[in-house]
Amino acid sequence: MTNWETGPTAYPGPVSLAPPPRVPSPRTEPDPLRASGALLWLDVLDATIRTCTEHGRTETAEQLSRRRARLLHPELRVLVVGAAQQGKSQLVNALINAGVCGAGADGTRVPTVVRHAGAPSAQLIRRGAPGADWTAEVGLQDRIPLALEALDAAITEATGRLPAGAPVHAEVAVPRSLLAGGLVLIDTPPLPGPTGPAGQAVRDAGDLATHAGADLVLYVCEADRGLSDPELTVLQGLAALFPELLVVLTKTDYAVDWRRNLADTRDRLARAGVPAATTAVSSTLRLHALQAGDTALNAESGFPDLLVHLRRMVAAKPGALARETVGRLAGVAVQQLAVPLRDKLAAQRDASVPDAVARLHATQRRLDDLRKCAVRWQNTLSDEIGDLMSDVEHDLRDRTRAVLAEAEQFFAEADPAKAWDEFEPWLRRSLLELAETSTTWLAERTDWTAQQVAGQFPAEAGAVLPPLALEVAGPAPDDVVPGLDAPPVARFSPTQKLFIGLRGSYGGVVMFGLATSLAGMSLINPISVGGGAIFGGKTIRDESKSLLKKRQAEAKTIVARHVDDVFVHLNKEARDSVRRVQRGLRDHFTAVTEDLQEVIMDSLRNAKAAADRDVAAREQHSRRIQQELAALAQLHAQLVALNGRA
Amino acid sequence: MIDDEDLQERTHRLLAEAAHVYRGVPPAAAVLRATVEGLAGPLRLAVAGPAQSGKSTLVSALIGEQLAPVELPGEQPESVVYRDGTEPLAWWRDAEIPVARTGYGLRLSPDARHERRLPGTSRAVIVWPSRVLRRTELIDTRLPLVRAVEEADAVLYVTPQLGDADVPALLTARGPRGPITAPVHLMVVLSRADATGGGRTDALLTAKQAARRRRREPRIGALCQDVLAVSPLIAAAARTLTADEFQAITALAALPRAESEPHLLSTDRFAAAGVLSPVDAPGRVRLLQRFGLGGVRLALTLARTGGDTPAVLAERLQEHSGLKDLQSSIAGLFTARRSVLRARSALATLDHVLRTHRTPAAGHLLAQVELLVADAHELRELRLLSALRAGRLNLPPEHGADARQLLGGAGVSIGERLGMSPDATADDTWHAARTAAGRWRDLAHGGTLPAAQRRAAETVLRSCDMIANRLDRLSSPALPLG
Repeated sequence: MTNWETGPTAYPGPVSLAPPPRVPSPRTEPDPLRASGALLWLDVLDATIRTCTEHGRTETAEQLSRRRARLLHPELRVLVVGAAQQGKSQLVNALINAGVCGAGADGTRVPTVVRHAGAPSAQLIRRGAPGADWTAEVGLQDRIPLALEALDAAITEATGRLPAGAPVHAEVAVPRSLLAGGLVLIDTPPLPGPTGPAGQAVRDAGDLATHAGADLVLYVCEADRGLSDPELTVLQGLAALFPELLVVLTKTDYAVDWRRNLADTRDRLARAGVPAATTAVSSTLRLHALQAGDTALNAESGFPDLLVHLRRMVAAKPGALARETVGRLAGVAVQQLAVPLRDKLAAQRDASVPDAVARLHATQRRLDDLRKCAVRWQNTLSDEIGDLMSDVEHDLRDRTRAVLAEAEQFFAEADPAKAWDEFEPWLRRSLLELAETSTTWLAERTDWTAQQVAGQFPAEAGAVLPPLALEVAGPAPDDVVPGLDAPPVARFSPTQKLFIGLRGSYGGVVMFGLATSLAGMSLINPISVGGGAIFGGKTIRDESKSLLKKRQAEAKTIVARHVDDVFVHLNKEARDSVRRVQRGLRDHFTAVTEDLQEVIMDSLRNAKAAADRDVAAREQHSRRIQQELAALAQLHAQLVALNGRA
Repeated sequence: MIDDEDLQERTHRLLAEAAHVYRGVPPAAAVLRATVEGLAGPLRLAVAGPAQSGKSTLVSALIGEQLAPVELPGEQPESVVYRDGTEPLAWWRDAEIPVARTGYGLRLSPDARHERRLPGTSRAVIVWPSRVLRRTELIDTRLPLVRAVEEADAVLYVTPQLGDADVPALLTARGPRGPITAPVHLMVVLSRADATGGGRTDALLTAKQAARRRRREPRIGALCQDVLAVSPLIAAAARTLTADEFQAITALAALPRAESEPHLLSTDRFAAAGVLSPVDAPGRVRLLQRFGLGGVRLALTLARTGGDTPAVLAERLQEHSGLKDLQSSIAGLFTARRSVLRARSALATLDHVLRTHRTPAAGHLLAQVELLVADAHELRELRLLSALRAGRLNLPPEHGADARQLLGGAGVSIGERLGMSPDATADDTWHAARTAAGRWRDLAHGGTLPAAQRRAAETVLRSCDMIANRLDRLSSPALPLG
């Protein structure tokens, strides 16, 4: 006989004073419909687990698998949670009418799992890790038997021997018909207050409920105050994991306005969207009633309603509760899977032009640029060459004219017969110099032209200048400027001089002879002879002067002709050079253009292929996401159907 | 009042110096001016804690009148300050406001004057003639503890249970840094004493035992001066017990136990119509609202066991509710040492100002503040006193009472510290001081005590030295001591 088997309620009848439940136990009356329902929710759960695994959510899949095992278990584990000093342990004690859970000012330190057994027993279970399942089997060395008489002290003593912070819980088995149906009550230490960051309390409560393998969470709160905001948040978090929440306001015997607080709590839960059942109880009254066997007082305590509800839950576990749980859990899991997929899809739709297509467009633009550039440089080349032609001719003419003018000036004074030897080398040198200057200038202009044309190419084409200055140099200067022979000189020989002298003196002799004959002198006299000599000398001088003029004119003519010849020749050479240059540049730049075009066409082909591939891949990807989403939607539809059946 | 005032004087000098340094910095100057003014005023005692923990009820219980909570249509003041005055007055946002009593507190009715005011500090000031408020100004505040500490010299932290969540709050409220962090200004009140263990008759006793255990825990002792279990509801009802209530209680107590007991099981039963015929149902509901079920049970028990006049019943209810203990703790640790606490909060404020507004002169002042705080023997005295009171530290029994007396636990004047009768001569006082110093020197350096007790003895010895110094300074033997 243990201490809780004594007392007025030690009889093996129903623990509750409420009428026995009308809902039959699931195991006594197998229901074919429920069996098929079980199969359905199991199918959906398995499908969800598979989907989670496929999407790499192994953690979720593992959690769901654990819940699956829990759901298939006939036990209904009720987790009693709440803040400190709210009467959790007292509630458990009052439910089963036994002092198994320490209810004192210090509060519960070690969670206590209370279940049914033929004979009372108690042991402390040491779990392997804080995150380990409470329902997992542990070895014999991790089970510490506890004395039943002073359970609180025994637990304190046993935990004191273990290292601090070791994850432990107590398992107490008592013979109670309430628990015989498969109900397991779990009393827990107080939930930590909202000290940490927001959401931490919610996560903690969720973790506790998950690890404890709870099927139903019973949230305890004093009737004196009603739910606080942080508690409501915790309940919201729990509601995502547990479809059946039960909020119990305790200590109604002590609270003055508990009915108002209960209504307020219901209101707030409804507004927060937490589908929780609520009730208010008084453990003190219940214990009093059980001691005194007072049915009316027991009814006042509010426990009969709670017991009926718990029994209904036990009965509903393989059917409606499991269905709803699966609906809730799988719904959360599907949402978790669907949200990132949808985001990905939306991101893909909203994404700007992908790289490959952008590259393709850029390459096409480059090709267009190149085409425009080809037209431009051809125009530039022809313009430049035209300019060059006229410039060269004009330049040559200018220079030759200058040479010619100098030569004419020279021959205005000099006698070609005497100065030719001096003149001819000068002329030759001048002309050579002219040819050379012109050639250099032409080369410079050609370079400049090449640069102008190269400037028409886009910068990305790189260095497109012809490798070397094109051949401008014409033939050897000797060929350009041939030597010039002296003009034939009209000789003025002494015989001619004598003859011309005599011819001139004749007139003088006759003039003077006639004049002097008047004076009586003979025709030939000294005076007439002297006059003849003067006339003869003058005639000779005149004659030699006219001869000089003639020679000079001849020399000028010959020089002019020569220079003109050289000009024509040089001009021809220059034009040829320019044409050659034009041809050379055209060939060069055409080749460059073709090379560039080849390169761009090549990359255009590549870009096009890449863009095509990319588009295909994206389409495939989004098709896959859509398929996955469709699969999830189907799963969701199944879930909805599942809950519709419930 | 020897050393306490000495500390206050030195603090005042420092504050004056700082006010001179910061005369060109308006915000700092304003803060310092207010601090200097507060230094001479009454002790500012804030009552802070989580929502619905019974702060306002406790304030009412301490004042002895139903003055809290304060109702303000449309708004809720963050803090309500209660101070002494010749006639009832109320201020809201620096403007006077009509005030009226309601059944359970006060109601302020804002008028046109307050609409134009910019919403500044949400703080109401109630001036009420009350003996309690003469030396202590009470602040009923909804501010978190950290901010309440900034506004007050000492804080009562009211909480239903001293859970893990409260420890960080208390830790941050201890003080900025350095030796000022000694929590000489904090006291914890466990306010659900009457509901402990489901509101059994021995609930208050259990709660007090639990509080005694908690205050001995070194972890808790490092956070506050004292932990007390109080039921604010019962205390407030006891302080304001009316004749009607007394009559109802005696009438109910006169019933045979067998008849009344079943109706005391739950509030529903107690308030049910047609039972407990001496008092009608509305009357019982009123009783329930004033006392709570636990309070009713306690009052009935007390009325049966000798509480046959209103005064006796009220007295015993106050005793059981824990209010007396709280009052004595407040008197011994806060009110009697108010100059130390005020100096402490002023130094904390000055420290804050010096650190936020750096000027070349601030460094020198800061060093002086640190010197003063490090030298403040009074803070150590207070900590030791609270440790001795709470039982965290036990001196040999023959010296315990002596130590508490010398530390100023029975009064801080020289005479009270030395346990002299008021008509003792100066020579007697000299003699007593020398004897005490010799006694404690032996204890401190004797080597017979464990380390912790020896440190305590050194602190007591320092107090003896201070007494001797003070006597030295009072060179004229004709000067009255104390």
